[in-house]
Amino acid sequence: MKRILSVFFIFFVFITGGYWSAYSNVGSIIYFYNPETNINNFATLKTAFDTYLVNHGGYYFQPFDDRENFEAVIQEKKGDIYLLSSWHLKALQQKKVPLEIALVGTSKGNTMQRKVLSTKKDIANVSMLKNTVVAGAGSEEYIHSVLKQILGKGQEALLKDIKILIVPKDIDALMAVGFGMATAAISAESSLDKLAMFNPNQFRELHSLGFSEKDYLLIAATLKKPEPQEVELLEVLRKMSEADAGGENLKLLGIDGWRTLQ
Amino acid sequence: MKMINFCKLLVLLAAFFATPGFAESSKVLIVNSDNTVYRYETIATEFKKVLQQNAYQWTEFNLDRHANAEEELKRLIQQENPELIYSIGTKAYSLARIHAHNKKMLFSAVINWRRLDIDAGTYGVANELSSAQEISLLRYFFPTIKKIGLLYNDKFSREYVETIKKDALALGINIVTQSVNDAQEIGEALDQLLPKIDMFWIISDPIVLSGKDSVRQIFQAAEQQKKPVYAYSDVFIEHGAVLAISADIATIGRQSANLAMMMDKDKVPGGTVQVPAGSTITLNKCVLDALQLKFNQDALDSVNKIVGCAKND
Repeated sequence: MKRILSVFFIFFVFITGGYWSAYSNVGSIIYFYNPETNINNFATLKTAFDTYLVNHGGYYFQPFDDRENFEAVIQEKKGDIYLLSSWHLKALQQKKVPLEIALVGTSKGNTMQRKVLSTKKDIANVSMLKNTVVAGAGSEEYIHSVLKQILGKGQEALLKDIKILIVPKDIDALMAVGFGMATAAISAESSLDKLAMFNPNQFRELHSLGFSEKDYLLIAATLKKPEPQEVELLEVLRKMSEADAGGENLKLLGIDGWRTLQ
Repeated sequence: MKMINFCKLLVLLAAFFATPGFAESSKVLIVNSDNTVYRYETIATEFKKVLQQNAYQWTEFNLDRHANAEEELKRLIQQENPELIYSIGTKAYSLARIHAHNKKMLFSAVINWRRLDIDAGTYGVANELSSAQEISLLRYFFPTIKKIGLLYNDKFSREYVETIKKDALALGINIVTQSVNDAQEIGEALDQLLPKIDMFWIISDPIVLSGKDSVRQIFQAAEQQKKPVYAYSDVFIEHGAVLAISADIATIGRQSANLAMMMDKDKVPGGTVQVPAGSTITLNKCVLDALQLKFNQDALDSVNKIVGCAKND
């Protein structure tokens, strides 16, 4: 009888342990929403990240194209990892959502970026942007807030006379100026470097009318202190750049690695 | 009692004037060729979103929902007297133009807009990206490509090919061309062209793309000679194109809305027809890896769709 009971006990521990271990991993998801980009490559992101994460601990990736839905998930969950922009994090923290930065994205060694307002050189100052179109990638609310910050208090009134054209990506915004569909573009400073590389003629035609404050590129945040499971998932995320497939996935998000804030 | 009624009247009047755009007549008439077509529907949806954000009013007329569309459209234009008519698709533009009578006209989703009769006061957003945009983005992904080849028919595509050559040269890319008179010449033309180039570009030429056989022939020859193929549409990705760049449909709707609002204020920037400001990029990772092509990994954040190898490969 004792033998039967001990076999049963070992079997029970094995089964339930395996079950809970598998179950706990299924519950861990990386949620992603970034209002600083308007690129709709969610299917590609989901496939690429899921393929990687399932093989590195059975985790999953869930991108969002809607801010409300993303925020609703944060409100409902007690755990998990959230990838979001610095701008969005600040907005949520103001609403007392207890998100804390766990990792910050890096690109070519930098963790921060600033946005630039670029125009052709015949636009000498921001007051000339009245009744013009400014192109930018991201949510309308985000572009509006960046533009407001760059214009400053003195020129804030101009905002009501500027039309914002939302395009899928930074380089579309910059080329929209070059090809005459917009008078100005809001883009990351690094996107201007990219333009200089692939279309130096258009780059030379542009100049900058203003810059935003520097912000983190992308943030991996957790709700309060991460549970052991989230710590594990953060470690998987942090090490992604060490594998070719992981590095390529990070490039889809516009970063090349993660760094822990000191 | 009189005082109360007077106050009510004041409140009503205040509400009437305070509601943005309420005091104005229906300013924009959207004429859609066929709202069941995804492309047209997406453009219309984005257009309306921007109009709504800016407190504009509109009336919508979908040709596909009316048996006697032309008569009804004519009546609607007379009845609504819109300041601007936005046509989505060639059919919508052609009908609206007949009955517009000096109204501001705007169009999009028109195939080959250069064939249209365009009056003064008419503006549009083209359906296709300009060759300069395509070459810029191509260079972004493949900075080391220096020689790109294409087949074309002189009668249909000479002007376009000349523009491509000029735009490419400005970015340090040499376009090598070979003209074909009919589909029978494609095989021989490819044999001559492919060894001289780094990449083959499929342009929308009705002779070169006259049938499935022509398309198959191009991809077979390119594969044999290990040359990547770039295409103007993602329909060629499944055939084996490594990269496809086309206009982003949603942006066309938003861009048209901005143009409409600028037209309303008589503040339209130069040029009557704009090229689309947004792009959609599809990358075939399977072909990319098979050909071991060098590409700019930093460009990955600009890709809308990455296609991998089919699982049974």
